[in-house]
Amino acid sequence: MPSSLSTPAAPASLSRTQRLRLWTAVRLGDAAALASRLAGRGSGASIRGQVLTRLDPDAFAELLQGHRVLAVSGTNGKTTTTSLVAAAVRAGLGAQAARLVTNSDGANLHYGIASALSQQPRADIAVLETDERVVSDMIAHARPEILVLLNFSRDQLDRHHEIKALGRSWRRALDAAGASGPTIVANACDPLVVWSAGTAARVIWVETDTVWHADGALCPACGSLLVRVPSAGRDRWDCPGCELTQPASDYRVDGGTVVLPDGTTVTPDLQVPGSFNVSNAACALAAAVEFGIPVEAALTGMHTVTAPAGRFATAQFGATSARLLLAKNPAGWAEALPLAASDPVVLAIDSVAADGRDVSWLWDVDYEQLAGRTVICTGPRAQDLAVRLSYAGVDHRVEPDLRTAITGAGPTVDVIATYTPFQALLKMVGLR
Amino acid sequence: MSPVEIVLVYQSLLGIYGDRGNAMVLRQRLAWRGIDATLTVVEPGDPVPSTGSVYLLGGGEDAAQISAVKGLKADGHLFDALDRGAVLFAVCAGFQIAGNTFTVGEQDDVIEGLGLLDVDTRRGPVRAVGEILTRWKRPDGSEYLITGFENHGGFTTLGAKAKPLASVEIGVGNANDGIEGAVQGTVVGTYPHGPVLARNPALADHLLERALGRDLEPLPLPELDELRRQRIAAVRKTGTRR
Repeated sequence: MPSSLSTPAAPASLSRTQRLRLWTAVRLGDAAALASRLAGRGSGASIRGQVLTRLDPDAFAELLQGHRVLAVSGTNGKTTTTSLVAAAVRAGLGAQAARLVTNSDGANLHYGIASALSQQPRADIAVLETDERVVSDMIAHARPEILVLLNFSRDQLDRHHEIKALGRSWRRALDAAGASGPTIVANACDPLVVWSAGTAARVIWVETDTVWHADGALCPACGSLLVRVPSAGRDRWDCPGCELTQPASDYRVDGGTVVLPDGTTVTPDLQVPGSFNVSNAACALAAAVEFGIPVEAALTGMHTVTAPAGRFATAQFGATSARLLLAKNPAGWAEALPLAASDPVVLAIDSVAADGRDVSWLWDVDYEQLAGRTVICTGPRAQDLAVRLSYAGVDHRVEPDLRTAITGAGPTVDVIATYTPFQALLKMVGLR
Repeated sequence: MSPVEIVLVYQSLLGIYGDRGNAMVLRQRLAWRGIDATLTVVEPGDPVPSTGSVYLLGGGEDAAQISAVKGLKADGHLFDALDRGAVLFAVCAGFQIAGNTFTVGEQDDVIEGLGLLDVDTRRGPVRAVGEILTRWKRPDGSEYLITGFENHGGFTTLGAKAKPLASVEIGVGNANDGIEGAVQGTVVGTYPHGPVLARNPALADHLLERALGRDLEPLPLPELDELRRQRIAAVRKTGTRR
């Protein structure tokens, strides 16, 4: 039963001492953010959150109180989907839009979420992008009404040694939350997501256009080899060894359209490109409707999303107009590469902690599809990419400096970057 | 002459660290020399060809390791191919399953491997994660640096029949004991990926020469020399030397 948007959140219940400590931590966090901004080091959101959660270790849990929470997680598409949901909620709230708080900058760890919440103390509805590692805490502390689980694939394996381990932590948290746990909106085409959501009290399933299946070979429950069963539309997955199987969907992506539970078809008029964003939009729509927003209002809101946290933004670098695409892992590259249509195309690779220190994944990406065009390899690991492209038979040159790589590429160019160079590019053009 | 067949075994189970790159490198290095080569990708459930010259096993998680051992034992063709002199190159989880035993899961259940390498793997005191640099003594006696990235929780010890592949300069290697990898006949196991054959072309050519039974002419690729220079400099700057 969808909830009503007009219901206010239950007020926070904090002791005087807790309130004072939190207030002090927030003020000092703000001061640190201001200092960071004055020093020209960006928005200061990150330093604010770090000061805040250092001074008040309970700030994450305390700030979440007094909010109706809708959380979004998964390996890829979190930031865009969060923006789509937030835009839908904003449209649903109309004149009351100030009730909404969201971490639209993509800062999705404890301190990033705390930082965002601290900036809008009057908001009582929170749409929160949540890192996969924070999902368990989010379930335990925020008691979210809705949790969107988009997909699960190999990412930063130097840090997350086992893809399944995160899913296991979600299962535990959902199990512990029991009947008071969130309604899950989840991608039915991803076996790991379906298994991870398996202990939830209630799930709304979305059949998506997932293109990456390489991490879904084995049943996460019993280890049997999953089989793909042909059916009308796209194949379904099934486990021959246990009862895990692709659930029947409530929402279904069909080309550029979304089929709703009542059978009607809607066409999200998106300004973010790619079929994967139609899948993200379908999940966002399902979440928004469940949160009490009418379909029409949700679609109107989602139409306003153009470049969430700089993703898909077009920016000027000297005389060059560059479209900026982010790809963090093989599944993300599988989505982003077909979008990059320019010749030459600029690909930026780094390997600091936020990118994953191991760039072996370059060999999981189908760069062969770029044959016939020229790639300008840039970023600190440009040389690894160059070797990869030689073996792929793709013309390329190396230009380690990001700005030079782009300005030397002609009047318009598509750029795909891993996390760190992507953030550096946003900063160069003042988008961050 | 029939083409040289490179067989990538169970890519969807054992391919988590870009391991298919090793197969692409082997095939392409033959093609660049004008030698006809094919790449066969075998998925679980499909029969493994016994006609291959080089077989490749890569990295994967616990359940994938168990499933791969089961599949390869039931199929049997890999063993036939090795009996007639084919080369097996096994990386990371693939290295572990090629051995006598390895462990999986939180209870460290002992699983019997393929028994192709006289090695045993048990959970180590810490997980080995990071750039690794080792010294490999080539058949001609010269030394060659192997650069890669290791990421494994298992520590592997060698029995009498297996010989070390390389000695560790920086990184953990088999069991933080200065030894990296194992060689036994035409079976080679190692931990680094990167993929390792992309970053170490001499090792790639060595495997091909073993499989073909003849020497290959050198294949200069300046950008690969530059990559090796960068990676070796980076690991020597930041890594912990043994």
